[in-house]
Amino acid sequence: MLAQRAMQQSLRRLAVQHPALRLSTPAAIATGIYHQKRFAAATTISEATEHDKILARQRLNRPVAPHLAIYNAQITWYLSGLNRITGCTLSGAFYIFGSLYLIAPYIGLHMESAAIAASFGAWPLILKIATKAFFAFPFTFHCLNGLRHLSWDTTHLISNQKVIQTGWTVVALSVFSAIGLTLLV
Amino acid sequence: MALRLATRRFAAPLVLRRGMATTIEHTKGEPLSTVSEMTSGTSTPEPASKSTPIKDPSPSQQAKMKTFQIYRWNPDEPTAKPKMQKYSLDLNKTGPMMLDALIRIKNEVDPTLTFRRSCREGICGSCAMNIDGVNTLACLCRIPTEPGKESRIYPLPHTYVVKDLVPDLTQFYKQYKSIKPYLQRDTPPPDGRENRQTKTDRAKLDGLYECILCACCSTSCPSYWWNSEEYLGPAVLLQSYRWIADSRDEKTAQRKDALNNSMSLYRCHTILNCSRTCPKGLNPALAIAEIKKGLAFSG
Amino acid sequence: MASALRSPLLRQSLPTFRPQQLPRIQRAVLSTTQARRILPPLPQKIEGNVNDPARVPDPEPGHGSYHWTAERVGSVALIPMTIAPFAAGSLNPMLDGALIGLVLIHSHLGFDSVITDYAPKWRVPKSRRFLNIARNLALVVVGWGWYEFETNDVGLTEGIKRVWTA
Repeated sequence: MLAQRAMQQSLRRLAVQHPALRLSTPAAIATGIYHQKRFAAATTISEATEHDKILARQRLNRPVAPHLAIYNAQITWYLSGLNRITGCTLSGAFYIFGSLYLIAPYIGLHMESAAIAASFGAWPLILKIATKAFFAFPFTFHCLNGLRHLSWDTTHLISNQKVIQTGWTVVALSVFSAIGLTLLV
Repeated sequence: MALRLATRRFAAPLVLRRGMATTIEHTKGEPLSTVSEMTSGTSTPEPASKSTPIKDPSPSQQAKMKTFQIYRWNPDEPTAKPKMQKYSLDLNKTGPMMLDALIRIKNEVDPTLTFRRSCREGICGSCAMNIDGVNTLACLCRIPTEPGKESRIYPLPHTYVVKDLVPDLTQFYKQYKSIKPYLQRDTPPPDGRENRQTKTDRAKLDGLYECILCACCSTSCPSYWWNSEEYLGPAVLLQSYRWIADSRDEKTAQRKDALNNSMSLYRCHTILNCSRTCPKGLNPALAIAEIKKGLAFSG
Repeated sequence: MASALRSPLLRQSLPTFRPQQLPRIQRAVLSTTQARRILPPLPQKIEGNVNDPARVPDPEPGHGSYHWTAERVGSVALIPMTIAPFAAGSLNPMLDGALIGLVLIHSHLGFDSVITDYAPKWRVPKSRRFLNIARNLALVVVGWGWYEFETNDVGLTEGIKRVWTA
């Protein structure tokens, strides 16, 4: 059975390969050239490197598929990006104040807490609120979202549903607590 | 196989045979980078408003028309910018899935449209693409039928485009190969026949072995967008964890060592786009978290 | 940070730098469209044969698992230190100093992540080295600055409180 099928198959292949030989199949079988030949390497090395060269040149022309601009606005990567931005805002402020405080005496700035508090207190109310909100939201958001990230690192709460739920919870909590910190404290 | 061998045997010399895409011939004085600067690195395609929409050739009586905007780029015109092409189809004559729409466009409207497809049932992972902003398999994605809503189809984000919706996944596969995705074991099985597992050990592989390597998750990951040269990406890390978690594998320590550097694993910042987008409902983010946890406690 | 780098002061100190750079930048603007022009992806290059596996880096736990664990430990330690001043009203100088130290380490490691993500070593080795030197330098300068603030002034929590309620 198996041998028969193998025979049939090779005959069929033979027909595809050499249309001219189709008529003289018995002869072909008799001389044994119907056997399928397997070549160890179908392409030579120089041919392969030539292909590679063409491919390499084609690759240089390829555009990059659009990414950031077209990817759906999902809470996953938006909050992750916000986490980084808020972190950099806070750390940036922390760094700027630290280094300014160090060089303040040499460039004639007054960075003492009393002096800053006095000048900040003299600002118009709306500007004060805006400044406080500018720092309050990054602070509350980064702290609360940080908890989310830490829980994921312990492999908890890391399913699609939980990620979305906790995500919106953190957004709501951080907005409210930031408003609270800005207006009430 | 035989057919391929046959064509190869009687094929024309290499120069004549090349039916692949055009390459730009570079002049001597010009460095490669300036020539390819024209298209490579371009990520924004020309908007669809700049091209003429192509209509359904045979809409039915009460046609339910739907417009698709599809990313097009032809390597035979290497200097042309990628563009968005509008096609409108009668949904009454189209199957329910995005892949049906694409196949219908190719068969009846525009045969030049190029995309990968094979099984049409979500098991081969060929038709992975970005549909309406989310990476998924076109064969598993229903065509949204809200009237007036246009669907946008892009190749997988931040991949190099071979043609239209076909991305080059060479780097992805090379990375997959680098994690040695096969059982590594020196000791022969105790019974001399098979490497047995307990039911609980086997259960650890659920949710890992089902991955079809469609690259939807990896190409949804912003970290992978920026660092695909060194960061392995969610799909490959999930595969890596599949072998780390396998009780029969004996090279767990080496597998972990291969990930223990700043780039391969730790560019993951738990953004979680990967799990959100997986068309097979797997959780690559969890697998990566497990690897990190395992590494933290084993040094 | 970025705005500090772009300050006119810095630009004035490098007068010969701009005219040379200008034509190149303009061409880049012409040949490309818009969006993320900071580090546009390079033309595609594949290292080695399609069948070769990607290169596996040598294990470096210092930049891998130890680094990650340190980051998490620092973050976890920050939780009580963040809650304490809200609960107690203020912190004693020792705890306040510890909070500053933790925030500093947390920021230092955070900036490290940012630099590793956006300034790949294989792509912009010089910028990478420069940024890392700047990061380490900033750690010393900022740490020293806060030390001065801590010893000569009222401390972080009390200082914030003072300005916030001003």
